[in-house]
Amino acid sequence: MAKEYRTLHTTVDLPYELAFGATLTRFFDGLSEEKILGTRCPKCGRVLVPARSFCPRCFIDLDQWVEVGQMGTVETWSLVSYRYFGMAKTPPYITALIRLDGADVSLTHLVGGIDLSSLEMVRTHLSIGTRVKAVWAKEKPGSIFDIEYFVPVEADSH
Amino acid sequence: MGRSVAIMGTGQTQHGKRFDVSYPELVKEAVQRALADAGLSPEDIDGVVAGTMPSMMEGVALNHLYLADAMQVVGKPLLKTETCGSTGMSVAHTAFYWVASGMADVVLAVGYEKMYEGDSQATMTTVADPWIQRSFVAGAPGIFAMQSNMWIDRYHIPEDRLREAAAVISQRNHDDAFDNPFAHIKVRVSLDEIMNARIITYPIRRWDVCPNSDGACAVIFMSESRAQQMGRPAAWIKGVGYRGDESYLGDSDKVRWNTAIDAAKEVYQQAGIINPRRELDVAEVYNPFTFMEMLLYECFGFCDFGEAYDLVLQGTFSRGGDLPCDPSGGVLCTNPIGATGLIRVAEAAMQVTGKAGTHQIDGARLALAHAMGGVSQFNGLMILGSDR
Amino acid sequence: MGDRVGIVAVAESTPAIAKENLMDAVYWVTKELLDKVGVEREEVGTIVTAASDVFHSGISCANSYYWEASGGFLKNASRQDADSLFAFLYACMRILSGHFETAMVVALTKGSENPENDTVTSLYADPFYHRPLGINETTAAALQMRQYMEHYGISLEQCAMVTVKNLGNALYNPYAHVRKRVTVDEVLRSQPIADPLTAMQCAPKSDGVVAVLLAREDKAKKLTDNPVWFRGYSSAMDTSTLGDRDLLNGMLSQVARRAYAMAGIVDPSTEVDVAEISEPYAFQELLWCEQLGLCPEGGGGRLLDSGITGLHGRLPVNPSGGVLATNAYVARGLYRIAEAYWQLTKRAGEHQVDKTVHTALAHSTHGFAGQSHTVVILGD
Repeated sequence: MAKEYRTLHTTVDLPYELAFGATLTRFFDGLSEEKILGTRCPKCGRVLVPARSFCPRCFIDLDQWVEVGQMGTVETWSLVSYRYFGMAKTPPYITALIRLDGADVSLTHLVGGIDLSSLEMVRTHLSIGTRVKAVWAKEKPGSIFDIEYFVPVEADSH
Repeated sequence: MGRSVAIMGTGQTQHGKRFDVSYPELVKEAVQRALADAGLSPEDIDGVVAGTMPSMMEGVALNHLYLADAMQVVGKPLLKTETCGSTGMSVAHTAFYWVASGMADVVLAVGYEKMYEGDSQATMTTVADPWIQRSFVAGAPGIFAMQSNMWIDRYHIPEDRLREAAAVISQRNHDDAFDNPFAHIKVRVSLDEIMNARIITYPIRRWDVCPNSDGACAVIFMSESRAQQMGRPAAWIKGVGYRGDESYLGDSDKVRWNTAIDAAKEVYQQAGIINPRRELDVAEVYNPFTFMEMLLYECFGFCDFGEAYDLVLQGTFSRGGDLPCDPSGGVLCTNPIGATGLIRVAEAAMQVTGKAGTHQIDGARLALAHAMGGVSQFNGLMILGSDR
Repeated sequence: MGDRVGIVAVAESTPAIAKENLMDAVYWVTKELLDKVGVEREEVGTIVTAASDVFHSGISCANSYYWEASGGFLKNASRQDADSLFAFLYACMRILSGHFETAMVVALTKGSENPENDTVTSLYADPFYHRPLGINETTAAALQMRQYMEHYGISLEQCAMVTVKNLGNALYNPYAHVRKRVTVDEVLRSQPIADPLTAMQCAPKSDGVVAVLLAREDKAKKLTDNPVWFRGYSSAMDTSTLGDRDLLNGMLSQVARRAYAMAGIVDPSTEVDVAEISEPYAFQELLWCEQLGLCPEGGGGRLLDSGITGLHGRLPVNPSGGVLATNAYVARGLYRIAEAYWQLTKRAGEHQVDKTVHTALAHSTHGFAGQSHTVVILGD
């Protein structure tokens, strides 16, 4: 019988404290107040959400704050059902890109408030182009989950 | 050999605890300043070289993806060079070879670290292999203390005079930092305080050790033809050298440290330097620990082995001496690790172009920049000059 | 660029390294490469390795660990993070700078020792916004796939067929990790991952070490009778915020155009003889083929259906089995170079394509939905 060699099971677990900086602090403060804030680039004119301190394309500082709509259009989505170590969310959940009204880029967030038990059920509520609306969490400590998720707005589509 | 390459602009952030900015904003600050210094806009850049310490330092993996916009690399090629503590120097080397190869004319090198966001010593402990060395090396001070003690023993360096020399180096760096607007630690300490401070790992005491810093540095490398069109002072790259040895600390002699000795020989040969102490006008030696700074002077041929402490006490390496070292305040006062090696290059470039402000060494025309990394494994150097 | 750079030799590990120590595996492949050419370690000018600490068995500053195993003792060497095509390019630059005659490129990832790929790729995301939302390479790819299918009418079956083709090709490649005959039905019925992606449409987690010896033109001709030449490249990053990007029109088209221009290629669909394209997710092979100009926009599905990209087609894509068969994450770009080299020198053995190969394309990508793309063109 071949000799079995040893293996070492180990995890690396380190504490972090990360700086939001002024711009993201204001963005997340906005979420606590149920406002979704972006910044407008005076050069290319785009409204960027989440708010940025500088335009990634024009590379100039941004300080023109804009509140964008709490409704938007789903640009694409995925029903996530697999699991892995260290996962941020417990599946099943729906990840989506949402173009909020008044924004020129899409917000990455979750679509919820619908039956996630099967893909078929999800599809009766959700497709590319579905209109969705922010659902605010009860507790709003200033995190991305101050918006609990976006829910499809059936009646108000398009 | 190859095309000549010049540094045409540098940018540094205000180094320190920077909870006022997010990681991308910190990086952007250095990039904007380098572009402004060179009189360029992002469109002028052909490619970007980025580098940092391990992802665990800030908890963001492959962080060039997160920082792409801050580095203005969208639509452009990127190289991501990482060699542990010597990363900043290796980033500079990559930018040099990129331009020297003819594959680009203008390359932006960026090094960055946000050390207040993670646990740097815990991260650096994971550099050592998990089977053998990790349990024993107490972060960077542990490794450098072992190396220093070997050196002290080998050359019978008198303990009291060495302690005094280390204190002179520490005080000199801390004083010099007041003349560097970007430096992190700005405190006046007396020789007495330094010599009697608490021991961290013998012989290293409180003021012999570099800090953790948040900071970024950006440097613009340019081909000869483009540099000459700029009509601005250029820092020409005269030599580029790098060496590494084994991951097991005990495999190589770390006193007559071949990676430092050979890398220095490589750059001196390229730059035509025979007597570095006489020919160099200034050196930015990567000095996270005072004792290592002296050991490196000896490996770089600034003096003979066992001699550095005496020359330090004579002021040979202070401003006004034969070869002023680390007039920026050095790593001892500013240490955002991924940027630290590149800051040495930026400072050397500032010196030979007369842009170092109140810490300018008068008439500096030839400068050495250095960084080290790994488990006391890597040494990288660059020589910069005012003349092509 | 005065001189040319040639590939002199290539060595690859087999999946058998799973039980070996990482340092040993790196050493064996590096040693095999040098032995093939009959070159001593001392003669190698410089070394550029590729590895990432997050894909490096929990050891930070990856290259300080394997430095000596990759032949680095007292060498002027360096490392690239994330993507081994970066290391290939950096090695070419070091030679073309005139400072070195030869350069060795060594890439490695020992996936079997690492956490799951997405445990790691979720750490690419910024910590405030994308990461808490569970964005990683797989969920980002799922978002891209749904848009791609909907926008161009690409079917699930066409996406699954990429897996069928590539794992089938891998059957003939002894270096490949997953080698099996599968059906479209099996692929689509495999475990749901992030709809529309199923498990078999996602790349595995593999072990791999690849080593390549490069030399300046005159030296290359002395070291081998049939060098393979570096003819062109390009690379680009996209913006980091997923919602700011057009997932169907990223950087790859312009990267391809620049690489073709450098290599003097006018019509890639006829001039590229074989393409090794990184497809960590099956549908991406189709999308990348379009953006590489190997077929018209929206024509990726039809290109596959036509059989042109099969092992014995007119333009074989991923004869090695691609990333779907072998995903040693950081090494995968150099795997593409290795396969292009085997094909150009007619040494691919059972997976040698059925045509004369003069021009080969190697592509790599990493990041969410192709945030980074690199293309290298090689020729005989």
